[in-house]
Amino acid sequence: MSATTTTTKLLERVKDLKQIPTIPVVLAPLLRYLEQPVEDLDIQKVTDVIAQDKALAAQCLRMANSPLFCRFQKIDSLRTAILGLGFQRVSDIAMSCGVLNLTPKDTGGIDPVVFWEHSLGCALVCRHFARTISYPDPRKAYLAGLLHDLGIVVNLWSFPEEFRRVFERARSQRIPLHEAEQAVLGFTHCDSGSLLAENWDLSADLHAVVSLHHGSYESSEHAPLIAVVELADLLCRMSGLNYGYLENRQVNVLERPGFAVLLQKFPALRDFDWARLTFELDSYMDEVHGLVHAIYRK
Amino acid sequence: MRAYRLCPAKAKRLGADEFLRANIFSLRSTCDGPEFTFCEALRVSANAAQVAASFEGPPDPDLVRIRDLVYEEAGIFHPDSKLRLLWERCGRRMQELKTETVREYFECLTVKPNRQAELVALLNEITIAETCFFRNQPQLNAVRDVVIPKIIEAKAKLPIRRIRIWSAGCSTGEEPYTLSMLLLEESERRLRDWSFEILATDLNERSLAHAKKGLYGSYSTRNLSAYYREKYFLPEGEQLQVQSVVRKNVKFSRLNLSDDARMTFMKSVDIIFCCNVLIYFDLASKRRVIQHFYNKLLPHGYLLLGSSESLYRVTEDFRLVHLPGATAYVKGERSQAGKKVS
Repeated sequence: MSATTTTTKLLERVKDLKQIPTIPVVLAPLLRYLEQPVEDLDIQKVTDVIAQDKALAAQCLRMANSPLFCRFQKIDSLRTAILGLGFQRVSDIAMSCGVLNLTPKDTGGIDPVVFWEHSLGCALVCRHFARTISYPDPRKAYLAGLLHDLGIVVNLWSFPEEFRRVFERARSQRIPLHEAEQAVLGFTHCDSGSLLAENWDLSADLHAVVSLHHGSYESSEHAPLIAVVELADLLCRMSGLNYGYLENRQVNVLERPGFAVLLQKFPALRDFDWARLTFELDSYMDEVHGLVHAIYRK
Repeated sequence: MRAYRLCPAKAKRLGADEFLRANIFSLRSTCDGPEFTFCEALRVSANAAQVAASFEGPPDPDLVRIRDLVYEEAGIFHPDSKLRLLWERCGRRMQELKTETVREYFECLTVKPNRQAELVALLNEITIAETCFFRNQPQLNAVRDVVIPKIIEAKAKLPIRRIRIWSAGCSTGEEPYTLSMLLLEESERRLRDWSFEILATDLNERSLAHAKKGLYGSYSTRNLSAYYREKYFLPEGEQLQVQSVVRKNVKFSRLNLSDDARMTFMKSVDIIFCCNVLIYFDLASKRRVIQHFYNKLLPHGYLLLGSSESLYRVTEDFRLVHLPGATAYVKGERSQAGKKVS
């Protein structure tokens, strides 16, 4: 089947993408603001934005005064509460929770926890990897890691039954998920993710990550970002931050096209310690498990 | 919390990036599904971060320095989630030396005259509890599911169907016997019609004597499943005796890995297990041992190290590969390895 026919067929079958939930508008300016360099941030502005939502502000305070946070003093202002958490954490968590709530209530029997653990883990690994090789925009790498599997959200909404078969096949044969999708659906989460990315009007680089992270992207102008995500995604899938099963194969990162792409741009990669990065993935697991399980398994 | 929805038309007005941020910032905007708020998310995150750090606040910078020292010297890495373990191991040494703070202990490892001996003592603490049957289950699974099929594939056209494994630094024998059991199980599946042998070497005579005896207490056998316990062991008082079917595939021998002359009798090996052994060698000896491993391995051969051990900066000859839940080193083409760094 040609690529165009696949996409047409897919388009026909994708239900209205608007049913995929979006967000409380008060938080958008906050996140936009938090994208700035930390040294430019004004705590009062952050406080003002959160204060616009009374319920949100009240809960912030209550939470800041829970035994977890009153290490130093009683927190009686929203401002102190936000200060205690730090901008990076406020931003990370806001983004992560946003994505985590995109999955439908009925996922055809598939546990959404496994996908989000992988996405969050991948986001953390992307940022860490980006920093280590001096990639210029580690925040973008985090976002790209978080969103790379957006197509799975579409598949869960639009093809719950078929996708359950895909997942069963991938898990029982221990093959990569996109290979099982290709075999069962005739397209992958890259194809369906591309539709949502277009519908949402994502920026071109993130759109490229969503559509090409399992494809050939060496000629894409966004190849370095896609490569960061591809390699981080691979490491996650070969370790504890997988989709709930381990793929039965051997991966040599140095032989991936993404490695060659990055090597051209980032000389630091020549002497990169992949073993250490792999060991470090362990550190993210508690954080990721805690967050995702609190949302779904409360 | 009120829910809003942005339509694509509005997205165009807002600009792509802004719209993205708006979208991904979706906090339970529909009323179905689990209730979850922004603040709870923050609380959970902070909680998880605290658990991960294992201590109040960020990890002790001196402990992080010790972690990095251990990694640089021995190649064993403790991720943040395992820093508490490292801290406990340091604690035992600190008690012995009567040092009060981690910083003082770091000095014992770096500037005091007997620093090298202290590092070895710490490494002993770090690896001491490691020996038992089925010590590293993910690694064993990866060997069974990926490494052995790859070796079978590589040897498919050869007349002799035999797999040879070397357990280098086998200590009291738990590792080679585990491998023997693993291969016995596989000989009913993938390794039907294949023979295998496990060469187990160690420097320590007493460990070897224990290994040959094959009698183990509850500590060594703590990870043994009921299946293996029943199938391959016989109770002998309070202890368990490894059955002869497991023992007959294992050959024990005393070998000093830095003794170049004695190393020559090993050859045509498919897999080398060398877990928590290299840590005791300095860089030059490490390189020499790895060189021997390289020469003894068949072209498709694998080298497996302990679960957080790395060959970083030791050699360019081996390539790190990722297996499901584990890492391994494969023999690379020398010329290509050279090209990679040029």
